[in-house]
Amino acid sequence: MTVIIDAQALQKNFRVAKRRPGIFGGLRSIVDPEVRIVSAVQDLSLQVQRGEMVGLVGPNGAGKSTTIKMLTGILTPSGGEIRVAGLTPIHQRRELSKRIGVVFGQRTQLWWDLPLLDSLQLLRHLYRVPEARHRENLKQLRVMLDLDEFIDTPVRQLSLGQRMRGDLAAALLHEPELLYLDEPTIGLDVVAKARIREFLLALNTQRSTTVLITTHDMDDIETLCPRILIIDHGRKLYDGAVKDIRTRFGGERTLIAVLDGSELARLAMLPSAEDGLATLPDLPAGVRLLKLDGPQIELGFGREALPAHELVAWLGARYTLRDVTFREPDIEDIIRRIYEKDLLLGDIGMPV
Amino acid sequence: MWRNLWEDLQLYQHLLVIQIKAQLQYKANLSLDIISYLGITGLEFVALLLYFVPFRTLLGWHVGEVAMLAAVMSLSFGLSELIGAGIDNFSVLINRGEFDRVLLRPVSAFVQVIGNDFRLRRLGRITQGMLAFALALHFLPALHWTFFKLLVLGIGIISGTIIFLSIVLLGATLCFWTVETTEITNILTYGSREMLSYPLTIYHQVLQRFFLFIVPVAFASYVPVCYVLERPLPFGLPAELALASPIVALLFALVSGWIWTFGVRHYQSTGS
Repeated sequence: MTVIIDAQALQKNFRVAKRRPGIFGGLRSIVDPEVRIVSAVQDLSLQVQRGEMVGLVGPNGAGKSTTIKMLTGILTPSGGEIRVAGLTPIHQRRELSKRIGVVFGQRTQLWWDLPLLDSLQLLRHLYRVPEARHRENLKQLRVMLDLDEFIDTPVRQLSLGQRMRGDLAAALLHEPELLYLDEPTIGLDVVAKARIREFLLALNTQRSTTVLITTHDMDDIETLCPRILIIDHGRKLYDGAVKDIRTRFGGERTLIAVLDGSELARLAMLPSAEDGLATLPDLPAGVRLLKLDGPQIELGFGREALPAHELVAWLGARYTLRDVTFREPDIEDIIRRIYEKDLLLGDIGMPV
Repeated sequence: MWRNLWEDLQLYQHLLVIQIKAQLQYKANLSLDIISYLGITGLEFVALLLYFVPFRTLLGWHVGEVAMLAAVMSLSFGLSELIGAGIDNFSVLINRGEFDRVLLRPVSAFVQVIGNDFRLRRLGRITQGMLAFALALHFLPALHWTFFKLLVLGIGIISGTIIFLSIVLLGATLCFWTVETTEITNILTYGSREMLSYPLTIYHQVLQRFFLFIVPVAFASYVPVCYVLERPLPFGLPAELALASPIVALLFALVSGWIWTFGVRHYQSTGS
């Protein structure tokens, strides 16, 4: 395996000028700006291997787009080193752009008033792709993305899902080794999302294209990315396998128990707390009642509180149980917890 | 370098074709736009001619001569509006963040920006310019034409187009620093077009120098038209200066192109 993205100690500071109102205020702001320094990315290191699919996650304003912009050569870093596909992005931007593809979920690069096919043809000239190669790639992408049913329709008449498929084709016609996707499934319905994910997995397997995805959709991450990078306030909070994140930062698991019908009377007599929710007497420490709905009880408990089987035993000793299931915490909840508590995970070994 | 230039021109041609194709999707709309634009610009021209109802001349210039000046101005300005709409709209590209996309492609950013729009409805002003030119010829039956005069006029119009495009490019470059630039550009483009539809000599010497040597819009109309009409230039400048129009235009374009490149670099360091 070879490294395709190698960023060391990446740094970006913005000088934010306060703008004065009006034309003359604007002119004055050019000559005599009031400046504030804002650090958008701090000491961010990142290595991606060829063929990997990596999810980049973080709240709005975390520094994801700034990072992507530096990796693509649109933005000059304030500090640090970047090599992408062996090139220095800011100095070899045009060279690099032939080898990467970028899709912004919220902005299309297709020509609004023209049939999709016209845009896809024009892109050949914008990327200087040899005609035969372009034809071959277009043929493949038409099949993989099922473009034929709407390829002659003006882009403005396409559904969001169709448009996204068109945009993916547009970004891939020059056969990039590396694909950046910014919110590729935003606003799509479930079927369309599934379709895009299926395509990306196929692309990754067939062409071994490296994919870097920023998204807020945790299903994207769970289906597509074995590895996840969590960024907040311009710093890296976590870099590692998605499956590890649960065990390490699992937060609360939920035990869902269905009690025997005969217990209903007893449950009805439980004392209520101030918030109106019933309370179970003498719950073990670290366990809390989340929900009580007829015979169904949901208990949240921390991984460190007690082993799951002990909780089941505790409950079984007091009530007649009919069924017990566990729910693992949502990755989304875990990430929220990491953001909120700002757990800086410096101690986590960097997986390669 | 020449190969690059050739490829850029080809790319520009492809971008134009697609723009024209897109705009021809709404033919009725387009024709209406062209006709109304012809109407508006035609009215402007008529307003200019109205001066000659009470007065016979303007500092010695007859109605036909001023009409020729205005016609030449309309032609070069109209061409620049037609070609330069993409540059003119640059602030939209910046505000929507679409300039990032431009930088993500392996071809010239300038060609992509200028090829981003080609406004066919600006044909209205060009039509007005041609009609005005015909009218000017009608008023000037005695004018002696030579091949050289035609050449000077043609080169003058093209140079004027380049000068106006450069002004718009300068305005667009300002967008890298501040959002509110259209007004400043409009003062220079619309303002100088309006002013130089009249003989340059009616203005104060400072303004005359400004339009000759700083923002050389005078080379777009006044200088070549004086050559055609065999009129003397101000400040004792030789009539042959008309031949220098393309050089002046290219110099001006070079300066604004250089500032543009500087602006792109600034954009890359600030991301705004």
